[in-house]
Amino acid sequence: MKNSIHSLKKGEKATIKEFDIDLVPLKLLEMGCLPGNMVELLQIAPFGGPLYLNINGSHVAIRIETARVIEVEIIK
Amino acid sequence: MVQEIIAFIILLVAVAFLIRKYFWKSKKKGNCGENDCGCH
Amino acid sequence: MSIQNINVALIGNPNTGKTSVFNQLTGLNQQVGNYPGITVEKKMGFCKLPNNIKANILDLPGTYSLNASSIDENMVIELLLNKNDKLYPDVALVVTDVENLKRNLLLYTQIKDLEIPTILVINMADRMESKGISLDIPYLEEHLKTKIALISSRKGHGIEELKNLIVDYKNIPNEPCLNASIIDPEYFKSLQHAFPNQLLYKLWLVITQDVNFLNLDRNEVRSTFTKSHSELKRLQQKETIKRYQFINDVLKEGLKVDHTVATDFRAKLDRILTHKVWGYVVFFAILFIIFQAIFQWATIPMDFIDSTFASLSALAAERLPSGILTDLISQGIIPGIGGILIFIPQIAFLFLFISILEESGYMSRVVFLMDKIMRKFGLSGKSVVPLISGTACAIPAIMATRNIENWKERLITILVTPFTTCSARLPVYAIIISLVIPDERLFGFLNMQGLTLMLLYLLGFGTAILSAYILNKILKIKNKTYFVVEMPSYKTPLFKNVAINVVEKTKAFVFGAGKIILAISVVLWFLASYGPGKNFNEAEAIVIERHKDKPLDDFEFEEAVASQKIENSYIGLMGKTIEPIISPLGYDWKIGIAIISSFAAREVFVGTLATIYSVGGTDNEATIKSKMQEEINPQTGEKIFNFASGISLLLFYAFALQCASTLAITKKETNSWKWPMIQLVLMSGFAYITALLAYQLLK
Repeated sequence: MKNSIHSLKKGEKATIKEFDIDLVPLKLLEMGCLPGNMVELLQIAPFGGPLYLNINGSHVAIRIETARVIEVEIIK
Repeated sequence: MVQEIIAFIILLVAVAFLIRKYFWKSKKKGNCGENDCGCH
Repeated sequence: MSIQNINVALIGNPNTGKTSVFNQLTGLNQQVGNYPGITVEKKMGFCKLPNNIKANILDLPGTYSLNASSIDENMVIELLLNKNDKLYPDVALVVTDVENLKRNLLLYTQIKDLEIPTILVINMADRMESKGISLDIPYLEEHLKTKIALISSRKGHGIEELKNLIVDYKNIPNEPCLNASIIDPEYFKSLQHAFPNQLLYKLWLVITQDVNFLNLDRNEVRSTFTKSHSELKRLQQKETIKRYQFINDVLKEGLKVDHTVATDFRAKLDRILTHKVWGYVVFFAILFIIFQAIFQWATIPMDFIDSTFASLSALAAERLPSGILTDLISQGIIPGIGGILIFIPQIAFLFLFISILEESGYMSRVVFLMDKIMRKFGLSGKSVVPLISGTACAIPAIMATRNIENWKERLITILVTPFTTCSARLPVYAIIISLVIPDERLFGFLNMQGLTLMLLYLLGFGTAILSAYILNKILKIKNKTYFVVEMPSYKTPLFKNVAINVVEKTKAFVFGAGKIILAISVVLWFLASYGPGKNFNEAEAIVIERHKDKPLDDFEFEEAVASQKIENSYIGLMGKTIEPIISPLGYDWKIGIAIISSFAAREVFVGTLATIYSVGGTDNEATIKSKMQEEINPQTGEKIFNFASGISLLLFYAFALQCASTLAITKKETNSWKWPMIQLVLMSGFAYITALLAYQLLK
């Protein structure tokens, strides 16, 4: 099964794999959301709200729709 | 008499200021209207 | 030796302390204005440097990269591309945060590639120890091809060294970091071939961005080198990857982080402030404190200002030689100035709270917490910032919508923001509440007046949210749901930054809106002091004639003449004309005039009534409030400001779009007259209907 940022649990870390860049805003790429970089899920807003991430040292929040298209490999 | 002259000068200044603020300015077009500058 | 002027531009990501660096360099020596034609705030300051050099320091809007996604960021790029602009920098300072150096350097490499001499300012050096960070400055300087200033703008460390680096700007290498052509060698080769004299990276920016580039027709560049949106984005991604590769290589040697030392204050605070229950509790508690505090604290200086100006008027009337100018001063100008100054306490308090929330980094947590809820109403989590700062003023609030990526969410936010209770409504509310709501306590502890004000704020928010929900259902705009929010680290707000912000915003109000209010007061005074025909000019004779059976004493006579005059003055006649439209709402012609003149700005309402009552009355010493209290409807003998008409007025001011500047800013931000007109008709129509219903039901 493919994992995305959306499937991470709180506190879990993963490595970003390829994703369709047409579905991801350029600003997020500039924040360091690029293949090979590390991502950690820090907090989840309630009721299916945004995800609070640490991507490659940048702290950002993104919506689930975006998180779903970014494939990752979970680091155990 | 002097009082009247000064008072009316003040009135003229106030009216001129308001006209400039609300009518003059609206004639000047900003650059933003002409080309798309990331407003959407 | 003559003084040499140089231009210095401050550039940096948001949340890097760029503004504190600006404040450190310029002190209070700054001016805030707008760039011509656009409503992007332009902050300029001056700084005296050694060797008789005077630096004009320009604080550019915060930007994450040179790939613009907002009008503010566009402005940055246009300035940096235009060598002929009189603000074009001789030297650029790129401000970075030592904790986010990697990401902040992305923008640095882009600026560098424009071949502008660039100094790298690494800020927040005071945090290095607690985060276990160590830097190899000579190594970084060599590989980033620049000079580095390691500073702490909070503590004021390193500012002198930075000044010395600026003086020495001619010795800063301006070779690029990245060769743009590695993005797509073939494409860039042909591009260079077509425009041999241009910098490749500049051409690339012209192709990918929506910017004007002097002497170079952007359509020409674009038509020859067209690529699909998706292809361009792929190349931009490649560019970003290449830049990060370069940055990573440099930082691998230049930056060391000892994670065992790092304390994570952020994580601990986030656990509470973004918690699914405590997060909301804290947020609403903060809102509650802000509103309670503003009403309770601000009224003390406001009452003081009100009574001071009332006695000043009386003093002027008594001491100055009598005549028309003295009347103008005591009845028009002094109450007019008082009507401006009275808002200063509330505006200052509101901006104080808002800038503390922004500076501390807390606002982003609110955006994070509220996004899902706001989306149900067609808004974005980022709409919370405009809705909160809308409580100060809708103009900056509408400008603050620029960072909402989604056009539909942004448009809805712009349309509903004017419903939030802005500070201009506060004086209107404050005076009417104090007239019609008893100063009593409910259940022994809830002040009824404070409670009413709180309810009005909630009403404003509620209406904003509800109309957003309706607009979301009606508007058919398809849009991608992009949303990226940086969550900055927590910082104690710097007193200096907050103070400068509050002073600047208050000054902008006093000298911006203030001039309008004063001018309107003067015009109103003349309209109220002169009138056409016999009814006005022979007021004394008419009053004597009317009361010939039962002669009045001196005081009563003066009062009667004054009210005969004002009713037949120009303004009185104007008011009488519109009376049929507003009397179903419970207002008399004087309130009608106040409503009309307050379309320039809501706060004019109180000033207008003050002017009308001063001209109409003989008692100069009374405050505006006591004059309003005594107003009586001559037909019914009832108080003009009673419970029914008071509630009706409160509702009218809560909903009506009584603000010309809001219309202007909506026009600018949406690029069409359609949206401001819709806003005006819907809001003011709704206001009229609710005020009508309220009065008819309550009277």
